[in-house]
Amino acid sequence: MRLPLRRPERGRWFAGVAVGLAAHLDVPVGLVRFAFVVLAPVAAVGPALYVFWWLTVPAGDPAAAATEARPTALTRLARRQHDVDPARRLPLAAILTGVALVLGSIALVATRLGLDLNVDWLLPSLVLLAGLGLAWSQLDHVPRERWRTESGRPTVGVLRLLGGVVLAGVGGLLLVGQLMGSGIEPAAFVQAVVAAVAVLAGVGLVLAPWWLRLVRALGDERAARARESERADIAAHLHDSVLQTLALIRARADDAAEVARMARAQERELREWMYDERPAPGTSVAAVVKDVVAEVEDSRSGPTGDPVAIDVVVVGDRVPDADTEALVQATREALVNAVVHGRPPVSLYLEVRSDAVEVFVKDRGDGFDVDAIGPDRFGVRESIMGRVRRRGGTAEVTSRPGRGTEVHLLVPVRAAAAAEGGEAR
Amino acid sequence: MSTDTTGPSTGAVDVVLVDDHHLFRTGVKASLDAGVRVVGEADDVESAVRVVHELQPPVVLLDVHLPGGDGGGGAEVIRRCTDLGGTTRFLALSVSDAAEDVVAVIRSGARGYVTKAIDGGELSDAVRRVAGGDAVFSPRLAGFVLDAFGAAAGDVATGDDELDRLSAREREVMRLIARGYTYREVAAELFISVKTVETHVSAVLRKLQLSSRHELTRWAAARRLL
Repeated sequence: MRLPLRRPERGRWFAGVAVGLAAHLDVPVGLVRFAFVVLAPVAAVGPALYVFWWLTVPAGDPAAAATEARPTALTRLARRQHDVDPARRLPLAAILTGVALVLGSIALVATRLGLDLNVDWLLPSLVLLAGLGLAWSQLDHVPRERWRTESGRPTVGVLRLLGGVVLAGVGGLLLVGQLMGSGIEPAAFVQAVVAAVAVLAGVGLVLAPWWLRLVRALGDERAARARESERADIAAHLHDSVLQTLALIRARADDAAEVARMARAQERELREWMYDERPAPGTSVAAVVKDVVAEVEDSRSGPTGDPVAIDVVVVGDRVPDADTEALVQATREALVNAVVHGRPPVSLYLEVRSDAVEVFVKDRGDGFDVDAIGPDRFGVRESIMGRVRRRGGTAEVTSRPGRGTEVHLLVPVRAAAAAEGGEAR
Repeated sequence: MSTDTTGPSTGAVDVVLVDDHHLFRTGVKASLDAGVRVVGEADDVESAVRVVHELQPPVVLLDVHLPGGDGGGGAEVIRRCTDLGGTTRFLALSVSDAAEDVVAVIRSGARGYVTKAIDGGELSDAVRRVAGGDAVFSPRLAGFVLDAFGAAAGDVATGDDELDRLSAREREVMRLIARGYTYREVAAELFISVKTVETHVSAVLRKLQLSSRHELTRWAAARRLL
């Protein structure tokens, strides 16, 4: 399938036209760039085409645009991994400003040296060009920031447009004044300006209702499409997971343990889909722990061969790091122990504080004598206690006959990262 | 018949069961033990309000998601029954364990919250506990409380009348419940009586219902509760 024409952020040198074209035509990007360079001397076709596409092709990721264009019912429901490293961009504004400054200083030196530059023409043209550039530059930004932010303050886009209009107007007037020559009467000039503004205002008034209706229709259509895609999402999900599982359960109705396991897995998935906020991947310890719980529930059985449900309670959240990774692995081992050797219900409590992350895993088994764990019992000693202690944490196993076993794991964390994670929630 | 005579020790507790799924009501009735008697049923907001006013049972088992009324579900039923003056207590019962559902129904006056996955014996115990005036906290509800009131240990209430923070003891109790301890196990762990545990839990419930704590408000707003 051919990717739609977009200007991606990633891999662009200038405005992303060449990269976008290469992706769209499925040719190496070097070839496209070479073509632009070759076409440059031929009546400036290369640059003209480049600018044309820059203005007309929307910015965005071609692959993402292709996904959006597919019917929602066919796309996967889970969010994809976000790009973690930010796309590299040339500091375009800084480069343009620099070039302008250098040109300005060259012009200044040239006039000092007695070279006769036609400043009368140059200055208005430059002002006009700057205004146009400013107004057009927002084309790159409009898709991401709306006209007004939610607080009601006008965004940079509006300021840009206003500044561009004012600059272009001033430049245009100066140019016209120049064109008319010095013989023109100031009064006539002012009259002409007023007349021009009046015509513009009149046209604006006439077109305003049409434009407003267009904007409103666009908004309505957008809302309708959002509703439609939401409904398709739900239908797709029910079909893919719930119906499939029900069919599987009916097919294997005689295997009680397997049916219970499938029902539990489906319940967990549906619950998560319906009730949980789904954090972006890689930003939530809670999500990682829940994944581990799901894996243990699906793959391990209790002493009698029945699947075991794990009750999960989570307080707080943060971005995972190496320390929490060790904790999660130790938690997994503790859960496996609780499921395989203990007795349900198995409870998991995860508490994320600013200074530490704590985990409690509790089961209702018969318990065992902790001191009697031989050094050869690699499981508990190394995979649970060792992992956590190497990270400067503590690990305790409390077991009392008849009261079950509880594993308590604590890993200290850096406060700054925790605050960040808290904000992210 | 007054509420006081139907406490945990004296005879069966009368219960009205409100849920819009017939199958589920049947299942609950079958699973309750002899100490709990279902005297009435309802399947939407209007009929629930009517039946509860008519029978005035000591305990109502109430589903969070109910059709009818103004769309407020279980919380609306509780609000429209406040004129009974607290003689009828509500125990919320839901398949959803989403924070907004749980806290909305608790803040409108339910005395406890259990998920529908609970087994019959535990549910009967929970009903008796609510009938006796105590609060019923599931591990998950305790987790929500800790989340809403802030899990950091430094932020501790000093006086009993302070609504916006948990005392150190209340926090300990909440953490143990969140870890899956029963009230009895909490009592043994903290070397206090079960009655004291129940007092702490009731105090936390009151705070959860009445507190206007800034973080609680923000926490609730983030989940579109307010």
